[in-house]
Amino acid sequence: MLRRRLLCASALVACLSAPATAQTTVDLWHVFNIETDMIHQAIKDYNASQDEYRIEPRVLPFVQLQTELIKAVATGDVPDLITVDNPVLVSLAAQGALEDLTDLVSESENIDPEVYVEGPWRSNVWRDQIYGVPRDANTIGVYYNKDMFREAGLDPESPPATWDELRDAAQTLAGDGVNGIAFSAIMSEEGPFQWLPFLYQAGGSLDNINSPEAVEALQFWVDLVESGSASPDVVNMRQYEAANTFMAGNAAMAISGPWELPRIEQEADFDWSLALLPVKADKNIRASALGGYNWAIPAGAENVDGAFEFIEFMSRQDVLQNGWDTGRLPPRTDITVPDPRWPEAFATFNEQLQTAIPRGPHPRWPEISKALQIAIQEALTGRKSAQDALDSAAATINPILQETPL
Amino acid sequence: MSATAPSEGFGLRGSTLTLIGIALVGLYLFPVYWMYISAFKTSSEIFADPPTMFPENGTLSSFVWIFTQEHVGRYLRNSLIIAVSTMALTIVLGSLGAYAMSRIRSRAVDVALVTVVVLQTFPEALLATPMFVIFRELGLLNTHLAVVLATTTKTLGFALVFLRPIFAQVPFALEEAAFIDGASRLQSFRLVVFPMVRVGVLVVAALTFVMAYGEFVYPLTLLTRAELQPAPVGIYQFVGAEYADWHRVMAFASVFVTPVLLIFLLLQRRIVSGLTSGALK
Amino acid sequence: MQTRRDAAILWLFLILPVGYMVAFVGYPVVYNLVMSVQDVTLGNLATWDRPFVGLGNYVELIANERFRLVVRNSVIFVTVNVVLQIAFGLAIALYFENRFPGARYMRGLFLAAWMLPPLVIGALWKWMYAADYGLINYVLESIGLSDGPIYWLSNPDIVLAAVIAANIWFGTPFIMLLLSAGIANIPRELYEAASLDGAGAIQRFRFVTLPMLKATLLAVACLATVYTMRAFDLIWALSQGGPIDASNVLPLYSYQLSFEQFRFGGGSAVATFSFVVVFIVALLYVRTIRHEKAM
Repeated sequence: MLRRRLLCASALVACLSAPATAQTTVDLWHVFNIETDMIHQAIKDYNASQDEYRIEPRVLPFVQLQTELIKAVATGDVPDLITVDNPVLVSLAAQGALEDLTDLVSESENIDPEVYVEGPWRSNVWRDQIYGVPRDANTIGVYYNKDMFREAGLDPESPPATWDELRDAAQTLAGDGVNGIAFSAIMSEEGPFQWLPFLYQAGGSLDNINSPEAVEALQFWVDLVESGSASPDVVNMRQYEAANTFMAGNAAMAISGPWELPRIEQEADFDWSLALLPVKADKNIRASALGGYNWAIPAGAENVDGAFEFIEFMSRQDVLQNGWDTGRLPPRTDITVPDPRWPEAFATFNEQLQTAIPRGPHPRWPEISKALQIAIQEALTGRKSAQDALDSAAATINPILQETPL
Repeated sequence: MSATAPSEGFGLRGSTLTLIGIALVGLYLFPVYWMYISAFKTSSEIFADPPTMFPENGTLSSFVWIFTQEHVGRYLRNSLIIAVSTMALTIVLGSLGAYAMSRIRSRAVDVALVTVVVLQTFPEALLATPMFVIFRELGLLNTHLAVVLATTTKTLGFALVFLRPIFAQVPFALEEAAFIDGASRLQSFRLVVFPMVRVGVLVVAALTFVMAYGEFVYPLTLLTRAELQPAPVGIYQFVGAEYADWHRVMAFASVFVTPVLLIFLLLQRRIVSGLTSGALK
Repeated sequence: MQTRRDAAILWLFLILPVGYMVAFVGYPVVYNLVMSVQDVTLGNLATWDRPFVGLGNYVELIANERFRLVVRNSVIFVTVNVVLQIAFGLAIALYFENRFPGARYMRGLFLAAWMLPPLVIGALWKWMYAADYGLINYVLESIGLSDGPIYWLSNPDIVLAAVIAANIWFGTPFIMLLLSAGIANIPRELYEAASLDGAGAIQRFRFVTLPMLKATLLAVACLATVYTMRAFDLIWALSQGGPIDASNVLPLYSYQLSFEQFRFGGGSAVATFSFVVVFIVALLYVRTIRHEKAM
């Protein structure tokens, strides 16, 4: 097998350059292309700290990771370790594509389910078995332009706290080439990621997706677009594009997550701040979205032990505390971030994370998500009423949930 | 049409045509201009309203980053290796095949054509997995050869379909004459037919080169080691999970496209001289 | 005056490229065909031992209104692209066939559009199409052609046209170059003779250029069909097929089924469906060139 021969060859090179005993190579595929992400230094540190395993990273474009993983599964040539977007993990696990880590976790000294934030941990569990370990967590809040608030006569120190306040503020701020608010309702996982918090805030739930509460939640978005507070282009905006319009001064508020902080700090030449997602006054339910990546080991990986050892290394205090430098929250409660950058945002997002609800976990999440994406877009483009759009979504989602409940 | 104005002196008509031509090209290539200037913009200026025709806070940082990264040279070199090899293989197989198609009188030619056309219609994204299996069995994963062999399946169909009518235009009579003079089929192909079609072959070769130069899916799948990857895969490294560094994408794309565009423009002259030397007269 | 050995060589020439294609693409095609009649999941993807479902995947597809929408989009996308790419390509090729300073260089410059990676083209056009800060709306509003923003990529009624326009922009230079090569091969004497007979520009186009270009045009139409049938990356980068699949086409839909929703059987069935469509196009192409030979 040539692949193995090449691996031997690269191991040989490593041997020649650094006197070490025969190392086992652990193939790691991940998506963190920013040079400052904690993973890069951690790989170096880990490789230097011991000589049993050598982490061999392959950085893949985000959209290609899943494609490449599927090819790897199809051909039986899987890497030893991958990072998975958390809503997808259980669908991979349920189809038998991931190694069961339950025993390894129970023997681990470092990885204790008790210390993890509930949402991220739950996204790894399928039928009481553990298939992954959270790498980082994120959630969303409302970035707002304080200068624009002042100009519009709004108090920049008390950002909108309820749906009504958000709607009114967006309306007041909109005008003259500026949108009141930007968010992402695109035909991809990002759309439901941003909308589901509103569903939960309204008291709705996935298993009753055409309930009056759900309709209210979708109608709230529809009203933002129809009133001119948000651009109809939200149906084609990725989250970073929504954030871009905010940074360029084309939107007074934007719903987005902590990963934008390094960029906003660099690009936004105005006074900005961050607020929690609003609540619906009559319900007063706090809810947010849970994002983030999990570590997982593809079924049939050659070096499960090496991969898991690296997961343990990546879950240490001295590694996880660096995640925040690129806006990644630690997924566990026992990690302290000393002297965090953007301290206020750190506090806000951490507070928001406590009410972050994972998507799924469900083996057929991609199909559920697709049905939601279609409903959101049908309503926002005026193709269907919010009620009709969600009725159609229910027709797809209900049978799936009847077969396998959440 | 050229025939309407046999080309002595350009005069007023020439200047008018040139001006209109420049306007056409300028309008058409506006998005390309946008690519170049976006490479100099900051990411918030890219999304500024109203759009800026020229970077206001121009920054060279993307280009500095590109050129101080040794990887960029490596990416371009890999692209070049893959593109040149694919072009060579495609032109050899394509010319032979197209010549045969233009000379054999049999239904088999139709069958061959349909086969070739149909086989290139699957989107690569779906072919990539089975291709991976093939090249793993051949022991060619992580070699440029695998990418060249796979990419040629994309370019060969094009070459055959387009070269066939070009070869068909070479009159049989010319070859007949060569045969009477005792030339073999190979000699006739090399000495009589090929010189007459070399313009068309050159165009097809150049286009094949560009197609292979931009190939993305096959290298991504067949090469797992970053040091073997060509530039189109490298460009994607700036498109992350949560955001993309568009000014770097544009800077890299500019560096990727410009040299080939220049070579292509020079090659145009070759094509022109090939024409004026009267190959077909 | 053909010896038997010569004939054998000719056949060898033919078999080499065709054999090459069959060798490398044959297996992938069969692979897809087989998957399209099976129930494939990630769990059984690595084996061939999967439940046989007959035409189940196809039946499910045809019953799905989204698939019907995607087929309709594909037909429009391909037809408009092929027709307009050839029309524009021919117009540009003929214009730059005129002898004037810089003509050849300018013609070569067009190819820049075709050289950009689809990711880059998608991003550029997405910016230009953006309703609020995009260049196209800005220009239209500045010169008074529209008084409010046009939602190029978010209005389901417009998005397909917007995506088609971007793809025409991308594909036309390639078509134009192929046509230029064809035009260059038309003997000048024919035009001179036509001029002597008193033919005007339009007549020369009709009675000299078009007939002489027929073989090239056919080849180009066939290629353009194949290429637009499998267009994928650009649409993905531009609109991801949305909103609500209004700009989705067969290859992208097939990719989404297989790689985003893990519905591999359905994805393969979509691919096989396109394959059959192109097979018919290819047959038409070959029939036409046979007629052309007979003439």
